Formats: sequence, structure tokens, C-alpha cells
Amino acid sequence: MKLIKKILLAILIVLVAIQFIQPGKNNSNEILPTDISKQFSIPESVQAVLKTSCYDCHSNNTRYPWYSFIQPGAWWMASHIKNGKADLNFSEFGSYSTHKQQSKLKSIANTINDGSMPLSAYTIIHNTAKLSKENKALVIDWATKMKDSLSQKIKL
Amino acid sequence: MKNIIIGIAVFATTLSACNNSSDKSNEAKNKNSDSVITSSKTNQEPTKVTTSVKDIIDGYLQMKNALVNDNGSDAANAGKTIMTAVDKMDTSSLSDQQKKSFADVADDIKENAQHCSVNGNKIEHQREHFEMLTQDMYDLVKSAGAGQTLYYDHCPMYNNGKGANWISEIKEIKNPYLGKKMLTCGSVKEALK
Ligand code: HEC
Ligand SMILES: [Cu+2]
Repeated sequence: MKLIKKILLAILIVLVAIQFIQPGKNNSNEILPTDISKQFSIPESVQAVLKTSCYDCHSNNTRYPWYSFIQPGAWWMASHIKNGKADLNFSEFGSYSTHKQQSKLKSIANTINDGSMPLSAYTIIHNTAKLSKENKALVIDWATKMKDSLSQKIKL
Repeated sequence: MKNIIIGIAVFATTLSACNNSSDKSNEAKNKNSDSVITSSKTNQEPTKVTTSVKDIIDGYLQMKNALVNDNGSDAANAGKTIMTAVDKMDTSSLSDQQKKSFADVADDIKENAQHCSVNGNKIEHQREHFEMLTQDMYDLVKSAGAGQTLYYDHCPMYNNGKGANWISEIKEIKNPYLGKKMLTCGSVKEALK
């Protein structure tokens, strides 16, 4: 009994202790010249969907949810942001080569189409980030058209 | 009691240390796995100091053939071959125009090859990147030349009828998107020299 109490106390203290270890935050608030919105025309409706459903992990500006202030939620969020930005960063989209932009647009359509994005671990908590059928179609249609117009540009 | 508190203090410091170095240790891990693979490759052929467009094409064809055989782990290895070939590419013999086109395709070739290299167990995901890789390769071959006869093939069925292209060294159709399911689906659209 005494041992169990000690263990519980230890766990409690660990939980408290890790609260002091917070990873750096990903919110620069500045819109870079390489931001996708500075280089391409994105309809407001599409932009709104991307902001709500994708930007937390794929831009330099995360709107931090409440649990990300509580460990281990902060680590969880930080690792998604790190891996997500490595694959696709809307804040730096303009610095990608034309071929890479093209591929990323195709990947955006693919991942939305097969439901792998936004990550389901995230939409469980963020109900609003879930994409409706209409919003899926909206973004896929935009990404496909953008991709085709870039391919046209490459051919010239 | 004192012991517990000291223990926790130590634990917390270790955690914060891990937290800061996690990026680095991941990188180190990646490097390690890379070097293991390169060294096993050097057993087969001496590593070249520089590579040419031909080496990138060879890596691509290796991936294509792995996908024809529905073999994700071979496709993953081909992805690594392509990444090395792009990294060591000697662009000095290219014209300015060719250099420019190479610069535009290079990082996308690498990115797609990288995704294939880490998704050996997800062949459908590899095929998605292979489709994008094909577009890069087509533009590269158009700009820098193939150095051999290649065939640009089209499969109308892949992707729910949206269709997709690939490049092959043989005239006969062997479909890398559908593999065994539909090996001979497709047709030659263009011969590339
Ligand atoms: C909770 C964080 C999170 C959200 C929200 C999110 N992503 Fe991702 N995304 C990731 C991570 C992490 C990766 C890296 C690959 C992986 O781990 O699956 C990724 C990878 C990707 C990739 C590359 C896929 C590949 O393998 O080629 C694309 C494209 C993508 N995301 C698009 C989107 C789009 C579009 C949205 C919004 C509809 C979105 N993501 C929302 C975390 C997220
Ligand atoms: Cu991928």
C-alpha cells in the first residue's frame, strides 16, 4: 500500500514536472513573401478551408489548441508540426520549384481524396477541421486546376 | 521521500534534454540507416564520385520495374538510388538551359524518391509518388536527352480512369501502376530519344 502511494505520487510529480518543458511555438504571425497566398490566386472559400483544416500543421502559424499547453499534448502537436511542415509548408510554398509546387498540389488532392489528410488523430479533437464533402470537392478542384495551369507553364 | 524528489528532478532534466535533441537524434538515425544502405550497395558496384542523367534514369527504371513486380521494398531501394544519383549529379556538361531545367526538377525528383524510399510497405502510396516522379523524369529527358531509346507509355485505367503515364526502356507494355492485376494495360504514346 505504501509503495502504491509512493508510485502514484511519483507519477503525479512527473506530470507536473513535464509541464515546465514546453517546445517552442510555431506562430510567426508574419506572412512571408513566399506564402502561397502572395504568389497564387486562391479563392477565399478555398483559403478558409485550408486555414481551418491544414494550416495548424502545414504553415508557420499554428493556432494552438488548449491541450497543446498541457504535456504531453505539446510534444504531440510539435511533432505533427515538424513532420507536416517538412512535407508541405503553405508559408513557404512560393519558394518551391515549379515542379515541386505541381507535385504538392497533386498530393493535396490525393490526400484529401483518400481521406489521409487532415490526420484523423487531429480531427477527432478538432471537429471543425473535418472536411465536408463539398469542401473536399472545392479544394480538390482548386488544386487540380492550379496544377494543370502550372503544367501548362512548364511546357511553354 | 527525498529520493523520490531527486529521482523526479533527474527524470525531468533528462526529458527536457531529450526534447531539445530529438531533432538531432532523428537526423542521426536517418543518416545511420542511409549509410547502412549505401555500404551494402558499394558491395555490388564501386560508388561513383559523380553521376549523370543516365544514373537518375537507371534508378527510375529500377523503380518502375519494382512496381511492375508489385515489389515495394525494391521500389524503396530504387528511391534511395535516385536520391544519391541526384545528389551527386555532375551538371558541368549541361548547357545553361539544361542546367536551369535540371535545377527545377531536381528537388522534386528527390522529394518523390524520398517518399518512395520510406514507404516500402505502402505500394499504392509509392505509386502516387511514382506518377509525379514520371512527370519530372519526362521533363528531364526532354531537356537533357535520354541517351537511349525510351518509351512514354499511358495507362488509361489507373486512378479511377484519370489515367497516368510512365517511362519504359522496353516497347512491350508492363504496367507499373496496376502490376499483376493488369500487367499489359496501356499503350506507347511517344518514343523518346
Ligand atoms: C495534425 C496535423 C496535420 C493537419 C491538420 C494536416 N496535416 Fe498534412 N501532414 C501532417 C503530417 C505529420 C504529415 C507528414 C506525413 C505523415 O506523417 O503522415 C503530413 C503530410 C501531408 C502531405 C504529404 C503527403 C505525402 O506523403 O506525400 C500532404 C500533401 C498534406 N499533408 C496535406 C494536408 C492537407 C491538404 C491538409 C488539410 C486538409 C492537411 N495536410 C492537414 C500533419 C497534418
Ligand atoms: Cu508521400
